[in-house]
Amino acid sequence: MIRFEGVSHQYGTLEALRGVSFEVPAGALCVLLGESGSGKSTLLRTVNRLIEPTAGRVLLDGRDVAGIDPQALRRGIGYVIQSVGLFPHRSVAGNVATVPRLLGWDRARVEPRVNALLEMVGLDPGTYRDRRPATLSGGQAQRVGLARALAADPPVLLMDEPFSALDPGTRRGLQTALRRIHAETGKTILLVTHDLEEALVLADRIAVMAEGRLVAEGPPAEVLGPGAPEAVRRMVRTGALVLHRLAALPAAGAAENGPAPGSPGLPAGATLEDALLLMLAHGTDSVALEGAPPRHLTMTAILRASAP
Amino acid sequence: MTALVPLALAAALLPPLLGWISVAPNRLVSPRAAALPGSLPVLAAAGLYYLSLLGMLLSAWRPRLSWLPEAAAILAILSLAATVGLGTAAALPAGSTVARAAPAAGAWLSLLVLSLALAAAAVIRGGAPALPLLVGLLGLAVLGAAGGLDSLSLVREAAGRAAELRDALAGHVALSLAALLLALILAVPFSALALGRPRLEAAFLTAASSIQVIPSIALFGLLIAPLAALASAFPALRELGLGGIGPAPAILGIAAYLVLPLARGILSGLRVAPADLVEAARGQGLSPAGVLWGLRVPLGAGVMLGALRLAAVQAVGLATLAALVGGGGLGTLVFQGIGQLATDLILLGVLPVLALSLAVDAGLALLARLVPA
Repeated sequence: MIRFEGVSHQYGTLEALRGVSFEVPAGALCVLLGESGSGKSTLLRTVNRLIEPTAGRVLLDGRDVAGIDPQALRRGIGYVIQSVGLFPHRSVAGNVATVPRLLGWDRARVEPRVNALLEMVGLDPGTYRDRRPATLSGGQAQRVGLARALAADPPVLLMDEPFSALDPGTRRGLQTALRRIHAETGKTILLVTHDLEEALVLADRIAVMAEGRLVAEGPPAEVLGPGAPEAVRRMVRTGALVLHRLAALPAAGAAENGPAPGSPGLPAGATLEDALLLMLAHGTDSVALEGAPPRHLTMTAILRASAP
Repeated sequence: MTALVPLALAAALLPPLLGWISVAPNRLVSPRAAALPGSLPVLAAAGLYYLSLLGMLLSAWRPRLSWLPEAAAILAILSLAATVGLGTAAALPAGSTVARAAPAAGAWLSLLVLSLALAAAAVIRGGAPALPLLVGLLGLAVLGAAGGLDSLSLVREAAGRAAELRDALAGHVALSLAALLLALILAVPFSALALGRPRLEAAFLTAASSIQVIPSIALFGLLIAPLAALASAFPALRELGLGGIGPAPAILGIAAYLVLPLARGILSGLRVAPADLVEAARGQGLSPAGVLWGLRVPLGAGVMLGALRLAAVQAVGLATLAALVGGGGLGTLVFQGIGQLATDLILLGVLPVLALSLAVDAGLALLARLVPA
């Protein structure tokens, strides 16, 4: 659990953070959303003390991080950055083993851990273990970066625009992998992005930052609701916010009991946006939810949910 | 390799035009160019010389034989030396011990032109020029050791001063090494401290570069007075060999010049690791020492070795001036030779300095190649 209490930071005369207070519950995937210069990266870096707040404090499981030795603190927190930052003179396995080695794990423990992590991020250990970072694609490199952050099994993961430099297809692949890993491991993840769509794909909770302040915080559907802050509205085309809101709502929540013969099938776990797109693609006004008991979803239900 | 064509032509024409060998009845009389004796070994050596020049010319039309220009130039240098060595042996009056023989202007200039061609060929191929030049010098040394150059006055001079030459060479190596070590002791900790402290870095580099504008002879001279005063104030220091005259001012002076190239090289080496990589390393929990030794040093090793190479070659060159303040080294022979107008003696000092520089340069270049980029 991460708790920010009135965190402020000044670079010279520039106020990068102005009294930010909120809490990331244990096991949540919280996305820090904001435009460039909103202070989201600065806030993230106060957690592992790469930046020290000039006022306020950051609590990790109730302990003020200012009282923890920075190196010990960082070895207990996974850290992933946009430029990946793999050590070019070490192999993939050597990179992943960075923190376990710093913690003094023996070889017999490090080797299987590295292999398990590479498999977890979707890289075959036999193929990739001994490769140099320069021979990897951007997406593969960031998978290794993710494995490195997870190596010593830290309870908290900090990710600073981890997928922003990747092409859209690769980015979606890594987002899926991260969601799966989050579900499997139950880590508390704080992820910075300026991409609203990415926030919707990943987040349990969204914290929106603007000009060093926290302007909204909560579950995605709430943050993108009718009262969405200006900072969020600016991120999308006028009027398109409602579509993003549908993407934050599960289709199952608006479904009715009973079959819908002849309607296209919608996979379980899909969102209302998926349902709407499926209706548009097939020219129908209802879709059938896959699975038992038979349920279906109508256009009217979507309209009700989109403007409550 | 068309750049080598004019050089090969010059090397072909210079000896017949300006003379291969020169002979003097004794040491005091200026030597005069003499005709090349027409004996069979001399003609064979000269023939080999022109064949190797032909090889250099040929390389202009056969660019795929990348080893040819360098091999031909080395062979040309060696066959030129053999022609001159055999020629002077035949030209000297039999039984005379005072008569002197030396290469004439044509042979000297050709040697220069061929060295230039060799270095150029190495650079064009993309290699370091030091290694082939060193091979050429080693070939000359082998030729000399085999007796092929015994009749040259330079070799006679060397034979007469063998002990002196050995001492001067050992002294030269010791001076260069001591100065390099002293400069490293200053530059390494300061560079590590200055990293991330821009004001300290500016002050340090300004101080180190202001020394570069003082002429080296003047700096050695400037050090005499304070060091002499120090030695007379603390006799214990004098016992250690410190004084106004001798190796101490020379080593200090040379080291002062080496601090700037070393510090610059070390600092840029430490900055090879990009800022975001260092940030990622800190974020993983690496200590400042861990970032330095695990990241900055291995990534900057190539750049830092390059600076060490530059400084080491500079140290060998500067150590020649140590003789001016009584510091010994090969400069002793050079300045004695200048005082006596004895060209052979000057060469006796200069050629080992040259060989030493090339050896240091080639050695450190090889070492740098072993470091993974």
